[in-house]
Amino acid sequence: MFSILVDVTLCTGCEQCAAACVEANNLDPVAAEIDRSSTKDGLTGNRLSTVLKVGEKSFAKKACMHCVEPSCVAACLCGGITKTPEGPVIYDPDKCIGCRYCMLACPFHIPRYEWDDLTPHIKKCDFCFERLQNGQIPACVEQCPTGALTFGERNALLHEAHQRIKNKPNLYINRVFGEEEYGGTSVIYISDVDLCELGFPERDTAPITDITEPLIHKTPLIGMTAMGSMLGLNWIIKRRMEQSGNNENEDISVGDKNMGGKK
Amino acid sequence: MRTKIYPIKDILWFLAFLGLMSGIFRMWFGLGVTTNMVDSIPWGLWKILNMVAGAALATSGFTIGMLYYVFRIKLFKPLVVPSVVIAFLGYGSSLFSLLFDIGLPWRFWIPFVSWSPHSFLYEVFWCVSLYWAVTAFEFTPSLFDRFKSEKAARILHGMGFGAAVLGISLSSLHHSSLGSLFLVTPQRLFPLWYSSLLPLFFIISAMGAGMMFMLLLRILYAHFYDPEPVFGPMPKEGAITCSLDGTPVKATGSGKDMPMLETLAIIAVSILGVYLALKISDLFINGSWKYLTAGTWESWLYIFELLIGTVIPILLVALPKSRRSPTGLGIAALSASAGLVLNRLDVGIIGYFRDAGFVYFPSFSEWTLCLGIISATILVFLFFVENVSVFDENWKTRHVAKGIFSGSFDNLTHVLKSVLSETAQRVTLIAVISIPFAWIIQYPPYHESKNDATIVQPSIGLDALRKSLRIDGNRDGVFADFPHYEHQNRLGGEESCNNCHHLFLPGDKSTPCFRCHRNMLQSTLIFDHTLHVSAVADSEGFSGLHPENYTCKVCHTEGSVKTASNAKSCLECHNRDMGLADVKDSSLDISYATSYQRAMHGTCIKCHDLKAEELHKDQLNKCFICHKSLTPKDNLIDKMREPKLLLVENVRSESD
Repeated sequence: MFSILVDVTLCTGCEQCAAACVEANNLDPVAAEIDRSSTKDGLTGNRLSTVLKVGEKSFAKKACMHCVEPSCVAACLCGGITKTPEGPVIYDPDKCIGCRYCMLACPFHIPRYEWDDLTPHIKKCDFCFERLQNGQIPACVEQCPTGALTFGERNALLHEAHQRIKNKPNLYINRVFGEEEYGGTSVIYISDVDLCELGFPERDTAPITDITEPLIHKTPLIGMTAMGSMLGLNWIIKRRMEQSGNNENEDISVGDKNMGGKK
Repeated sequence: MRTKIYPIKDILWFLAFLGLMSGIFRMWFGLGVTTNMVDSIPWGLWKILNMVAGAALATSGFTIGMLYYVFRIKLFKPLVVPSVVIAFLGYGSSLFSLLFDIGLPWRFWIPFVSWSPHSFLYEVFWCVSLYWAVTAFEFTPSLFDRFKSEKAARILHGMGFGAAVLGISLSSLHHSSLGSLFLVTPQRLFPLWYSSLLPLFFIISAMGAGMMFMLLLRILYAHFYDPEPVFGPMPKEGAITCSLDGTPVKATGSGKDMPMLETLAIIAVSILGVYLALKISDLFINGSWKYLTAGTWESWLYIFELLIGTVIPILLVALPKSRRSPTGLGIAALSASAGLVLNRLDVGIIGYFRDAGFVYFPSFSEWTLCLGIISATILVFLFFVENVSVFDENWKTRHVAKGIFSGSFDNLTHVLKSVLSETAQRVTLIAVISIPFAWIIQYPPYHESKNDATIVQPSIGLDALRKSLRIDGNRDGVFADFPHYEHQNRLGGEESCNNCHHLFLPGDKSTPCFRCHRNMLQSTLIFDHTLHVSAVADSEGFSGLHPENYTCKVCHTEGSVKTASNAKSCLECHNRDMGLADVKDSSLDISYATSYQRAMHGTCIKCHDLKAEELHKDQLNKCFICHKSLTPKDNLIDKMREPKLLLVENVRSESD
């Protein structure tokens, strides 16, 4: 599984990653700039990657985190969002009906909607999935001049992240953001400031799918139980009524000619 | 008595026409201009009020069916047909409103073919669709009654029980799943409303309040159409309507349906009581009671919601006096229904405000479409009430209306009357008033701000090759337009990059304007002479009344005319500041951000590489070009290029 390691201490906020992203995704660079002030973090349908100011003087890239257990994938009702084995969480515009449940489900507030379009779609970073398939690395990583972004296999990057923290324990916070939050993300951060502003929760927060998955598997069971108990109750009550001789009304379950008010 | 309904119908038609126009505008111009939804509040009024709350109010279709078919309480027989009609219309209008809400309505069928069984919305979608089909099935007997095909009606009646049981299981599934929809937002929904018991809350409250809504409709029907079974025998026309002391004679006693309604109300409030108890105990188990006592607007809203949704109905039904009066029951039912709707709005929209940092208020189009669909549903319901057997078993013997929407504009339009029916006249008149009205106030292009002039030409650091840059140095959202191309030309074209970009001023991400524009009123020189004069005087330790007078010769070492051309170069003094003299001087790492060094390397090397190739100057991307202390032999440049691809094999080989 591929990942990106973001070293916040190395980021200067030059936004060249965002510029490369606009170019790689064939977005409108003018709209990317003009619309950015319309949202809190600058992410819009024309700007899939942004750089946020965190803390006093640090910057951090923000785009789709490509969670290991993504809640948007669990939310989508048509299977339009999928987690690929290579790591990217990708969106299939041909399956989308525009329900926007993925936007509600994302804990990082990432997916954006083309509200002004007549055929609107979800827009989010796709980890440059096409470039990956062509053997290239994501555009933002390629562009980054400072080495703040590193692309690689997730395990290797986690190793590297812990190595960097070990080498400079005074500089970094002893936490790899994205290692285990919500079951882990494919974009991981190491930082000298707290990254709550990016939407990171407590360190040991379980994946959101842990809440939904057990419940959804019980669904057929609940339905069957409801139906079975209704039938059972009905049978018991019917039998009791017959036993007590309380039969002044005819059986209502079959052939009730008077239902619906016909008299 | 029936004429009471006319003004209400007029209002409903008016709202329906407004909604029709909103619907047209929504399809014509898209969601962006017609709604106020934003990325942080992606679900708005149509989804939450029309769908989630609408489906919850239509629960009576399954609860009454359960009481009648499963528990065999024959008392509720008169309510079975109305409950089915309510469920059919309620779900129909909910699904219809969804067509406006989803972004690509013509693709609504995709979940039927592209399965995604791990999604709660998928479950809701299937269950609601199937349930709607079941209610349609249950509903048709009433139609057959009307059209006198008794055989078909009998067959369908026979299947009533099976349909009811199927409907019950589908309902219990999708009502709980509607609550489960919001389980995915533990970090976004306000903790007062978020609970792992949301599915349970949703189904219990929907059952209780759905019965209360049924009750409300029954009482309203009695009020407008047929008061006797509920309000008791009414004074006959021409009878004395005032008693001796002047108070009007009211309906005396109570109607024959009142015991049934009281029983239903008691069952409903018992369910609501369970709901209230669960809600409160969940607050304490969850530990979210501290948000209740925090005194924020959310806590007051939460208390208000529980008050009107549960406490008031329970009290009203518990008191014998109000329970036995139709008005008291009606108020209790109205309060419970309103509480349910408010709860759904809280969980679906309002609870997200704090997390989003944004207060969503639906646009006019959203309100009108929402109310328009509800009004249209009520009109269809009234159509059924008047033309098909719904509430009243004796509907055939009653006076059946001549038309559905009998009019009262007879005096005005004797001529048209021969052409159009009264109903059509009335509806046409409302349409003529409301459609232009809706057009004028809703037509989206009228509301678009005409600030095209403020949209500036291409901008910012996104593309440095643009003629004009948009600079937001401190990222406060306020930009300055920087004519990059003109600056470049004025300073000497392509080769002048280093006039600004190679200043190597540590701590700066890009060259700020004030580096050059020290005085906005004068022509610009990057070098701040005044600052240097006093700084040099200080550092050289000159004394006297005007120490700065001695400083000239420190920099201008040659010639009598002191110009920029015969001054020292910056580097001769600022060798340490600029980090060029000695790359091995580690003190820079301490005083300035490391990342700056790396940023410079990243940006410089990239451009130098490019130029070296372009101009065929191999030396241009070597270290010594900038770092004067190095020799051409020292080639560290490959070390400065950070590895951007990290694979497991690499890490292993490094650690080995």
